[in-house]
Order: sequence, then C-alpha cells, then structure tokens
Amino acid sequence: MTLTMTAPEQTRARYPDQEGWAERDGVRLFWERYGDGEPTILLPPTWEIVHSRFWKGQVPYLARHTRVVTFDPRGNGRSDRPGDYEAYRRREFAADALAVLDAAGVDRAVVVSWCDMGEALILAAEHPERVAGLMLIAPALPVREPEVPPYPFDQVLDTDEGWAKENRHYWLRDWRGYLEWFFSRCFTEPHSTKQIEDCVGWGLDTDAETILAGFRGWAGKELDPETVVELCGRVRCPTLVIQGTEDKLVDPEWGRTGGATRLSAGHA
Amino acid sequence: MRAREPDADGFVDRGPVKLHWERFGDGEPTLLLLPTWTIVHARFWKAQVPYLARHYRVVTYDGPGNGRSDRPLDAEPYGCEEQAQAASAVLDATGTDRAVLVSLSMGALWALWLMANRPQQVLGSVFIGPSVPLGPGYEDREQPFEEPYTSTEGWAKYNRHYWLDHYQDFLEFFFSQCFTERHSTKPVEDSVGWGLETSPEVLIAESYPPWPDEATVCGWCAASRCPVVVIHGDDDQISPVGRGRALAEATGGALVVLEGAGHIPLARHPVKVNLLIREFVESLGGTAR
Repeated sequence: MTLTMTAPEQTRARYPDQEGWAERDGVRLFWERYGDGEPTILLPPTWEIVHSRFWKGQVPYLARHTRVVTFDPRGNGRSDRPGDYEAYRRREFAADALAVLDAAGVDRAVVVSWCDMGEALILAAEHPERVAGLMLIAPALPVREPEVPPYPFDQVLDTDEGWAKENRHYWLRDWRGYLEWFFSRCFTEPHSTKQIEDCVGWGLDTDAETILAGFRGWAGKELDPETVVELCGRVRCPTLVIQGTEDKLVDPEWGRTGGATRLSAGHA
Repeated sequence: MRAREPDADGFVDRGPVKLHWERFGDGEPTLLLLPTWTIVHARFWKAQVPYLARHYRVVTYDGPGNGRSDRPLDAEPYGCEEQAQAASAVLDATGTDRAVLVSLSMGALWALWLMANRPQQVLGSVFIGPSVPLGPGYEDREQPFEEPYTSTEGWAKYNRHYWLDHYQDFLEFFFSQCFTERHSTKPVEDSVGWGLETSPEVLIAESYPPWPDEATVCGWCAASRCPVVVIHGDDDQISPVGRGRALAEATGGALVVLEGAGHIPLARHPVKVNLLIREFVESLGGTAR
C-alpha cells in the first residue's frame, strides 16, 4: 500500500456553497459564498498581488457560524485583469464589493479586511447602510505622508538588493524574485515557509504587467492622508483594528493613530 | 506547554541509571511508545500522545541519556539488549502486562528484541522508519567516526571529534536530513532543541556498544509471532525504504509506504500516522482487550 502525501494542487478544507460573477463596466469579478448563518461577513481582497485564497485560514471556521462572502480582486484569481490603470483606483475595489454583495443577495455585511488600501474604509464611510461592522487587520492606509522610497520605482537600477526590488524593471525581469522577497517580509514569524510559498503561488497567478497597472492606479494619490482622516471620521459602525507589533511593511503606528484612535472617536 | 499532560509519571531504576516514564489515559490496550536514538527524548512523540491517549493507555519514557533520565557516560546502558530490558522494566513499573509497541528508527531493534524474547509482553508492533540492518543502507554514511575529521561537509559531520567541536551544527545537519519535507522548520527546531538537552559525550558513549548484525535481527524477526505494521517514507534519507520493506517481509507484517515522506513522518504527517496506528490497534480486536 502506498499513500500519497503530496498533492499536485491544493485541496480546500471547505468548498463554497455558491459561486458566481458580478460585472462592472465589463470587468467580471468572481465571488464565492460559504455557509448560511447571520450576519454575513465580507472578506474583501487587498492588493491584487494575492487573491481570495489568502483567507483560507478564516473561511472554514467562520463559515461554520455565519455566511462568508469572498471575491477575487480585479487583476488576480478568477476575476478579469483590465489593462488600464484607471480601473485600479481603490474606489473601484469598493464598488466591486458592493456589486458582489448585490450579486450574492446580501444587504449588509460585517467587513473584515486585511491590509486595507482604502476600499474597506470607503465602503464603511460612504455606504453605511451596507456595512454592519468594520475590522481592519494591519491596514495599509496612508494616514501620514509616506516616506520617499529609497529607490526610484521607474528608473533602471544597478542593484536588485532589498528595497531596490520595489522597481518596475525588476518586477518585469523577475516577478517571482520580488514575490519571494516581499512575502518573506510579510511573514516575520519563524516557521512561515508554507505561508510564504502559498502567497508566492497566488502572486504568480497574476503577472507583473497587471500589477504595474494596479500599482499606477493605487499610486495616483486618490487617498491622501487628509482624505483618509476625513473618511475615518465618517465611519459610524463598530470598528476594530488588529495590528501586529512586528509588522515590517505597515508602520504599526498607522493602525494606532489613523485607525484605532480616529475610528473609535468617529464611532463614539 | 503540552497539549496533553501525563496522568502519572515516575522513575525506573536500571542499576545506577534512573529512567523517567509517563502515562497518559487509561483505555485499552496500552501502547508503549519507545525511545529512539538518545539525540531526542520522549517529547518526539508529542503529536501522537494527545490523540492516542484519547483512545488508549499510552506509556512513554526517556531512554538513558536524555530528557529526565540519567545521562551515563559508560557504554553499558546503551547496549541493545539493555535498552530492550529497560523497556520491559518500564512495562513492569507501570503495571502493564502487555502492550502494543510503537518504535521509530533504531527503536526498532529494541522492539524486535522484545518480540523475540518477551513475546508474552507484546500484543503487536508498529515500526516507523525502522533503522535495521536488513539490506543495503546509504553508502555515503561510511565515514570515519573515530579518527579526526578531515572534512566538515555532509555526513563527514558524523564524527565523534566533530560532535565535540560543533555539536549544534551536527544536530542541525542531521535533522535537516531527517526532515526532507518542505515546511519542516518547526520539527527541525524542536529536534535540535531536544538534542541540545544531552551532550556529544553521551552520544559518543552510546556509539560504543556493537549493533546487532543482520543474522541476529533476522533471527528475532523469525521468532516473532505478533502482528506487525511497518510505516516508511519513500524519501527517508536516514534508513532507506527498502529496509522497511525487508522488515515487513521478515516479520510477515504489513507495509505502508508514505510517498514523499522522510524519516520522521510522525512529526510531519501526524494525522496520517496516528490514524494508521489506531487502525492497526483496532485490527488486533479482542486479542488486545
């Protein structure tokens, strides 16, 4: 008897009960629903460098208790990959979330986001009737002016070391190399090889050209610190911010000053 | 911190050497999870104990040289027959008439000795990655052990002088060979930690007693009468899967080959291994009750 320990393709602990596409301006968005309980939890995408499978550690457990909706971001997974950078404004992602809720027949949801780049905040601030609660895990919201990156993104550099990998030409030359470097910084805990491998695999489900379009859309300064603070002030639903103290990508202070304090002030 | 704390523990005196045992659960039958090379101690069964103890009575102990047992620096306590007699003594000390033996790697030798010489104490025997001299091993392991080392690469680290000079480096190398599966950083770290609880001097003392030769082991296999299952990874870089196959044939036992698994599947594939152990114990039926 021989038992196979290695699977060529990942199986899931929990498969969706329903799946479908929502469509906005010709862009098709793939969504999944798990479980049936109330309320609904919406697990939106983050940067399209990964897709909805990054919630794999949450879906099976949460779906035992409540209805869970996930969707792939424009640019990765089974959703379309528009080539125009304008399609990747974070406001588009927020509108995608509404379209997915509509398609899944969900009036109102608790929004649990990871590394929110603005879409979850926009959703909660501008569509309070659709958002029953907001959880921001390690939000990537620009609550103050970002520091100037150590290397120019668009220039050809003479090094690939460290932050020099955050560079258009390096992405086009060695997308996998960037993914491995980036996710090794996401997972600073020991024994994270599996999580890194998963994320690199999801990153390889899209490509550098798509990510470059998305990056340009995001870098358009649609959400400057002033706008973020203004949006935080408009949030009225119960809000929780979870921030790791060893976060090497998002300044833990962002969650504290921008998220927790202002949001709880807004809520109160 | 443990997922399951023992319900009882104590010491067995083997002459001047005290061995520490623990008991978990009180179902039937009793499973004796044997020690292996003293480079690790009984905690290497950490992924088995909590599950098995929900169904059976589970006894573990630290062999001489590690854990909470003494660390003799003479060879005698580490001989094959003395190791097996110590296991028998642990069964007596825990009030266990008969047990299913579960062994890893070189623990197979002590299990085989018991099967041949204490058959009344053995209900059945589960071998995982057995390290037994049946058929060919890996050729690159024939490195000089006693002479000063001339290389520090690969299996050249398996050298008493290298152990004394670079013990932790040897541990990290050895366990990287044990865990060939991806994503094994945690079991490697655990094992290196257990290795650091003993010393190169202890491992050197343990290396002195001669290993039983192939004819002796074949004799034990032929004398064995109990049900046997052998679980062996086909990527075992310590003891080739052919040795597990030979052991299953020699004992008339079943063979389960785990594809893609290394030498210590009980740590990397615990659910699969635990279910196989349970399936085997259940197959013993009334004889085990």
